[in-house]
This record gives sequence, C-alpha cells and structure tokens, in this order.
Amino acid sequence: MVHFTAEEKAAITGLWGKVNVEEAGGEALGRLLVVYPWTQRFFDSFGNLSSASAIMGNPKVKAHGKKVLTSFGEAIKNLDNLKGAFAKLSELHCDKLHVDPENFRLLGNVIVIILATHFGREFTPDMQAAWQKLTNAVANALAHKYH
Amino acid sequence: MLSAQERAHIAQVWDLIAGHEASFGAELLLRLFTVYPSTKVYFRHLGDQPDEVQLLSHGQRMLQAVGVAVQYMDNLHAVLSPLADLHAQVLRVDPTNFPLVIQCFQVVLAAHLQGEYTVEMQAAWDKFLTGVAVVLTEKYR
Repeated sequence: MVHFTAEEKAAITGLWGKVNVEEAGGEALGRLLVVYPWTQRFFDSFGNLSSASAIMGNPKVKAHGKKVLTSFGEAIKNLDNLKGAFAKLSELHCDKLHVDPENFRLLGNVIVIILATHFGREFTPDMQAAWQKLTNAVANALAHKYH
Repeated sequence: MLSAQERAHIAQVWDLIAGHEASFGAELLLRLFTVYPSTKVYFRHLGDQPDEVQLLSHGQRMLQAVGVAVQYMDNLHAVLSPLADLHAQVLRVDPTNFPLVIQCFQVVLAAHLQGEYTVEMQAAWDKFLTGVAVVLTEKYR
C-alpha cells in the first residue's frame, strides 16, 4: 500500500483546491490525445480529432476530460485506500474499455505538466514529486484488477 | 521526422532557454533527483547531495548538448554520435531513464512558460526529446 507523508498530502490537497477541474480535465485529455495520438484509438466516437485545435475544442473531449479528472479528485479523498477506491473503475477499464494501463501513466504525466503550466514556480520539485507519486499510485490502482 | 511546424515550435521554445542553459539544466537535474531519486546512481561523481554549483555546471553541459541537437535537429545521428558513444560505452544509462528526464524537462518548460506552453509546443518537444533519446541509446547493442 502506498503511504503518503503529511507533507505530501498537504502538497496534493493544497494544490487541488485551486484547480478548476472542468477546465484542467479537458486540457489534460486533449493534450494526451495530441501529444500521444495513438491514444485516440479509444475515442472513435468523439467526432473531429483531426488537428490539435479540433481536439482541444472538441466538446466530447472536454466533457470526458472533466469526468476523468473529477474521478481523480476522488482519489485525493482516498489517499489511504486507492486500490479500494478504484477497484470498480479498474474492472471497467479492463473488462469493458480494454485500456492498456500504460495510458494511465501517460495521462498522469500530462496532468503533472498541466499543473506546472498553471502554478509555475509554485510547482516546486517537492510538489512535483508528491504529484508524480500520486499519479503513479492512481495508475497502479486502476491497473490492479486487470486479469 | 519533424514537420516544419514542429521545427518552428522547437526553435521558438529554445530561444527562451538559450543563454540560460545553466539555470534550466540545474532545475532539470534537481527535479530529476527529487522526483526520481534512483536516477542519482548515474551521477555519483556529483556527490551524495549535489550542491547548486554542481547542478548548474552539469545542467549547463546537458542543456548545451540539447542546444546543439536543436541546431542540427535534421541530423541528430551525426551531431550526437560522440554522445551516443559516451552513453553506450561509459555511462550506460538504462534506457528506461530517458522518459523520466523528458518528463522533468517538460515540467521545467511548462513551469517557466506557463500559459504560453501550448499543446503544440509540448507535442513537438516530446517528439524531439524522444528522438534525441533514441539516438543516445542507439549504439547500446
């Protein structure tokens, strides 16, 4: 089980409180689809993904991004039991969505980069470390039920 | 292969780093060592707790090499050949570490450029740095 120190928890929750989840979610999913175009394989039904601006402006991308990041927010309320909190979502991503867990790591990295764009210098190396630890732990929790 | 737009984004971002290779490089290394402590095994010559002077010095060297790569981004094999030899024969950095450096590089760029760090810049730099990493590990076996 991953253990977060008091400082790490403070770094995570403190920053999260200032994040616009709807905006950041759309940004994160959009950037994932642009920077790693093969990830578009899961989103054939999303319509126009033909260019960076099409992707970033796509309403389905924004809506889904918000959904994903909102769920990420749930992780932050359950730092002491990520595997339990994401058990059902893990089964869903394996059994129904068939998503390679590597995608969770890629998205986690993109979320960290977006936080850096938003917070600049405030996103210190220690902040980054806490957040990379979190995104890594969420990725593992989402992969945990794969069989 | 880099498109014309990708090359433009790479050059545009590099213009902001040029002249500040030491401080960008130091921040890159500090983030790398803080976020991914296992990478420190490759930098034992900097000591247990590398100080700012060492980070600036080594960081500058690394970023200057990136600058050369930017200048010759159409011919990375030739221009990075000596560094490829160094990594294959002397440094032997496990290839899984390069994505960690790239992630930290992206965070440094994002933290400095903030709202101006567009998705197109992020995509171009990810592709470019991944290409550099491929060349640096090309002679491993």
